Amino acid sequence: MTERAPIAVVGLDCRFPGARDAREYWSLLMDGRDGTDRVPSQRWDADRYHAASPSAPQSASEARPPGRSNTVRGGFIQDPDAFDPGFFGISPREAAAMDPQQRLLLQCSWRAIEDAGVAPQDLAGTDTGVFVGVMANEWAYLQLADYDRITARYGSGNGYFMGANRVSYHLDLKGPSLAVDTACSSSLFAVHLASGSLRSGECDYALAAGTNLIMTPVINIFYTQAGLSAPDGRCKPFSASADGIGRAEGVAVLVLRRLSDALADRQQVYALLKETGINQDGRSNGITAPNRWAQQRLIESVWQRAGVTADDIRFVEAHGTGTLLGDFIEAQALGELTSGRSGGSVGLGSVKSNFGHAEGAAGIAGLIKAVLALHHRTVPPSRFAADANPRLDLSGRRLSLLKAPLRLPSGTVHAAVSSFGMGGSNAHAVLASAPRTVHRGRDRAPGVFTVSARSPERLRANLLAQADVLTRRPENQLAQLCWTSNRVKSRLPYRAAVAAADLPTLAAGLRKAAEHPEEATRLDGGRRAAASVAFAFTGQGAQHPRMAASWYRWWPAYARHFDEIDKVLAPHTGRSVRDLVLDGDPEVHRTRWAQPALFAVGYAMAAALVESGIGPSYVLGHSIGEFAAACLAGALDVPDAARLVARRGALMEALPGDGGMLAVSMGAAEVEPLLVGRQRLGLAAVNGPRSTVVAGDLGELASLEQELDERGVAARRLSVSHAFHSPLMAPVVEEFRRECADVPARGPRIPVFSTVNGHRLTGEEPMNAGYWARQITAPVRFADAASALLAAGVTHVVEIGPRAVLTPLLARLEPDTGHPVSLHAAHPGEHAPDHRPQQLFGELWCAGLAPEWDVLYAEADRVPRRLPPYVFDDSFRAWRTGTAPGLPELSAPGPPDADTAVRRGADRGESCPPAPAGDLPDPLAVLTRQLVCRVGGHDPEHVHDHDRLHEDLGFDSIRVMELKARIEDALPRLGTLPIEDLLAGLRTVGDLVGFLRDRHGAAAPVPTTPEGTR
Amino acid sequence: MTAPTVHLASVGTCLPGDPVDNATLAKLVGVDETWAEMFIGNTTRHFTVDLPTGEVRHTLADIAATAAGRALAEAGLEPYDIDCLVLGTATPDQLMPATVNLVADRLGIDNVPTYQLQSGCAGAVQALDVARTLLLAERCGTVLVIGGDVCAKHLERDFDPGSRTSAELVNYVLFGDGAGAAVLSVEALGQRVVIRQVLNRLVGLGREPGQVVDWFGLGDRHTDRTAVFEDYKAIEEAVPVLAQQMFWELMEDVGWGTHELDFLLPPQLSGRMSDRISDGMPAPDARRVNVVRHVGNNGNALPFLQLEELLRQWDGPGRALAVAIESSKWIKSGVALERS
Repeated sequence: MTERAPIAVVGLDCRFPGARDAREYWSLLMDGRDGTDRVPSQRWDADRYHAASPSAPQSASEARPPGRSNTVRGGFIQDPDAFDPGFFGISPREAAAMDPQQRLLLQCSWRAIEDAGVAPQDLAGTDTGVFVGVMANEWAYLQLADYDRITARYGSGNGYFMGANRVSYHLDLKGPSLAVDTACSSSLFAVHLASGSLRSGECDYALAAGTNLIMTPVINIFYTQAGLSAPDGRCKPFSASADGIGRAEGVAVLVLRRLSDALADRQQVYALLKETGINQDGRSNGITAPNRWAQQRLIESVWQRAGVTADDIRFVEAHGTGTLLGDFIEAQALGELTSGRSGGSVGLGSVKSNFGHAEGAAGIAGLIKAVLALHHRTVPPSRFAADANPRLDLSGRRLSLLKAPLRLPSGTVHAAVSSFGMGGSNAHAVLASAPRTVHRGRDRAPGVFTVSARSPERLRANLLAQADVLTRRPENQLAQLCWTSNRVKSRLPYRAAVAAADLPTLAAGLRKAAEHPEEATRLDGGRRAAASVAFAFTGQGAQHPRMAASWYRWWPAYARHFDEIDKVLAPHTGRSVRDLVLDGDPEVHRTRWAQPALFAVGYAMAAALVESGIGPSYVLGHSIGEFAAACLAGALDVPDAARLVARRGALMEALPGDGGMLAVSMGAAEVEPLLVGRQRLGLAAVNGPRSTVVAGDLGELASLEQELDERGVAARRLSVSHAFHSPLMAPVVEEFRRECADVPARGPRIPVFSTVNGHRLTGEEPMNAGYWARQITAPVRFADAASALLAAGVTHVVEIGPRAVLTPLLARLEPDTGHPVSLHAAHPGEHAPDHRPQQLFGELWCAGLAPEWDVLYAEADRVPRRLPPYVFDDSFRAWRTGTAPGLPELSAPGPPDADTAVRRGADRGESCPPAPAGDLPDPLAVLTRQLVCRVGGHDPEHVHDHDRLHEDLGFDSIRVMELKARIEDALPRLGTLPIEDLLAGLRTVGDLVGFLRDRHGAAAPVPTTPEGTR
Repeated sequence: MTAPTVHLASVGTCLPGDPVDNATLAKLVGVDETWAEMFIGNTTRHFTVDLPTGEVRHTLADIAATAAGRALAEAGLEPYDIDCLVLGTATPDQLMPATVNLVADRLGIDNVPTYQLQSGCAGAVQALDVARTLLLAERCGTVLVIGGDVCAKHLERDFDPGSRTSAELVNYVLFGDGAGAAVLSVEALGQRVVIRQVLNRLVGLGREPGQVVDWFGLGDRHTDRTAVFEDYKAIEEAVPVLAQQMFWELMEDVGWGTHELDFLLPPQLSGRMSDRISDGMPAPDARRVNVVRHVGNNGNALPFLQLEELLRQWDGPGRALAVAIESSKWIKSGVALERS
């Protein structure tokens, strides 16, 4: 039989007793720690259902008293009641009604996908499959026993199917989605089905999961009555001390792909699933008894299909429940295949020795152990191994129970995992170590690391989680780690970005950002669509030697555009402007070089940003900056612009250097009268209401300067070679007009705010020869053009150029409308850090733009690397405590109703004030929020006007109906609210308040007490 | 079954802080710049200690872990790919725990054999020898070899510059701190340079040590023994001879003719000495790879710094030979490398 294409394990997340995540799981295993504990009181009163087995029972019923378990211990995960409902847009009430297995699966799925170096949002809408092994349905027993309390939410909160379907729903995954129950082998069955689905092409990604939460003592009692329960609550697989099963919990998700796809995407691979198989005991010695022959046949066939023999298998993660019969049959079945092995023994172990039998999650617990062992090239020891059961004759079967970690050799290593179900459904898998792939990052390449979260407080926690691991990563992976963070962690509303060129600085930056998470701006999902970016191109004076050299060094896209524009300029400049700039030649200050150099830098910056998805909706240019602006707007062809700027610079430089420029702190209207009679002076630029530049003859300029000084007006000479935009430029105007003669008169594709005309160009104002000729002597009407731009609804302005010149001017011109325009200088100046382009991307992203991150990185750095997955808010808690039917509940908070706010953890440092923050609370707004919180069960402190009813607060149509009824009840004046209006027009809580206000009218009194709403 | 081939997969190095030039040394410890240049020939070096303040900024474990991390990254390997660590140093951070184990901890390496060789300038080659032997014996598949030294302990600052003898001052000019690392593997990874032979031989019977670095504890810290002693005359005489012997031993062992050698990595004592030894070695066509002039004599890091420089210059097939001589109790050692 030919071997089939392997399946790659590319991501995983898990929670097991004594381990909150995969890292802790690995250290629990390697340390050989015991994860079991006494039954937490939240589950049930352990003593109440406990009866120790007497040492010499007189009868069966004395040996096993009915309704009692012989143990008070087991493997329990921490905080199974914690969940982050807001993250998934689930209302607290709905979350409280959900089986905690669903809640934990959702979080584990999210984290596992992130672990695979993929944003869960990128899987939305894909055919990704979800296969969940589950055998516990105890939540339903607890929830659904009281028929009178069953509400609509209970249907979706219970049932095996929902474990998988929830994940598919909330992550919008459209592939197969099913729960698998084959008892204790459920999750390895789920893995088998997921692999098959991937191989058949039914899906391209598959989540294979397992879950088991112990909410009642039912199975403990069953195991005890069946004589299968270990009194100490511990499984001791293959040990002489084995005396039965200890139960355990677990939730785990694997992200699987076809290996060829994973390699093509340069995804990191933990290990390979070479082959999986399943079968059934059929008619064995009783339906719950294991069947040696069936196990043996299964293992044999899977090994055969995988193309391996016992000689190839280095270790086996056994089912290993630690029952005498189970261990014996498993050792016999496996031993039949391994006893003839050449070389040493096969390592044998079972994770059940660490925390017990995780039932529905048992198979995946063993599988993850094997996957991590292959990944770390070390097999963890098995507890209780020193005391192997001699009757199993393990050494005769060439099986070696691992008493110490087993170091695996380099090269391909194979392992096997078994999981057997109580009803006889068996599963087996053969794994192989991942192929070695080398993806070296560029040495010292900088990057920008992005972290986003659902709340400021979570942003803090997630920033710290990332900072903690980054310093331990190889230094040449910095850009790869940054790229991964951009790809995986940049989609949530609260954002922080840190650019750096080394990992310690990056980690320190993330820690610093974590100190002030409240400074992170919140971006609602609608902002991007509304973003409207303007590019403002800087003029002459901003140039400096080596300007933006770091862009050339560290941003390949910029370097490419700069090289290209340099080639276009070269025939006209006679020398490489690129080399002039990058070599740090001070000649760059000479007008003949300054103008083409600024054009080249501005053009390359703008082109690289446009390539990155940061394209302008408007452009503006200050003087020479208008040429690059016109290129971007499509009003000027790039070769024409290159020829013109080179010519313009050369013509101007040829003029006598007898002029100067003077910046005056006065408005243009006040300055103009002073120019009367000074023929060789002109108004050169109007940069703001009290910021004007005069240019012209040095003598006349000196006399003006003196006059201003006498009047106490501040004025400052600019360091320039010529009096630009003055009458002194007149001699070159005609020659330049001729140079421009063949420039096509074409309207811009993107609106241009002209600094020649001081407004947005209309269709009757082409950027033709006349325009460019006039530009030489006309004043730069920046203030007018910029004010018009700012009033045009622009949300972001990026100053394009090697220095922040226009940005401060724009900040002063910005009208105080309450909707501040986000201002950014592409390159602040000589002292900008070497990673400025990366920093700029971070700034723009934090300001709500969505750059194409790929463009920022070299191909070698676009490699996914594992980052810690999202750290969820664990302050929400909901649980039901298990009790026997007919007995009173011991402590059953039940789903919190309107008045019992869901319990919040003490670490909640978040301080979002309830909106609106005005001094006088708006009674209608307060009432609306109260009603929303009542229906959804939200904490009123965490409901804001900007929260979206559906996406953020989890209001589905059922809940909207409930809200409608509550509103009508509380505000009878409104009459019946049309449901269509409610559903169609209302997006956020704020919208709802507005809607109600419109209908209610301002005058009517609004009841202000919550009681009035019942 | 044929023995595996051992490859040099990658090299990584770490030189702490900014280079310290002779002018700075002149200012801080009163070294005469011209003298330093003429008699020793080293122009810059690096120190883990910030000379002006005396603040120790890095330990050997720090710089060794950085160098090792770079070597791993260069080879495209993860910590769990490493089967064994061998570190050679004359200046461990502490006598216990061995620095190699602190480096393993930094890198996230566990459950593998580790070795630390207490050795002077031949330590790096001895470490390569141990690694290669383990690989040939198929005890391991991939070994991380590290060498490094730090001399912060021996740099006195609070003295009157005028009071020092030239023998004392020479140490400031001569030595420096650094670390280097190499990944050796039976797989043809990374650079795919084959390590043909490693030799290392004690030849100190009856000879007085040419260099002594003492250590003190609570019981003897007040004795007047010298912490560092060098017999420069003996070193100057013996090292060229031993270097030539090792050169011939290696060449004959691998069966190469002197004209077949493309690169020669001579012992790195000081800029001036290395040039002299280098010129005297009989490989007319071999390009010399000397680094001590710029990095200072940082002991067990030097061969790695030479290897790194070699790999920078070496493209295509060829042969290289490295020799290191330890002048304490006199050890000669060397490595033969080939790329097809």
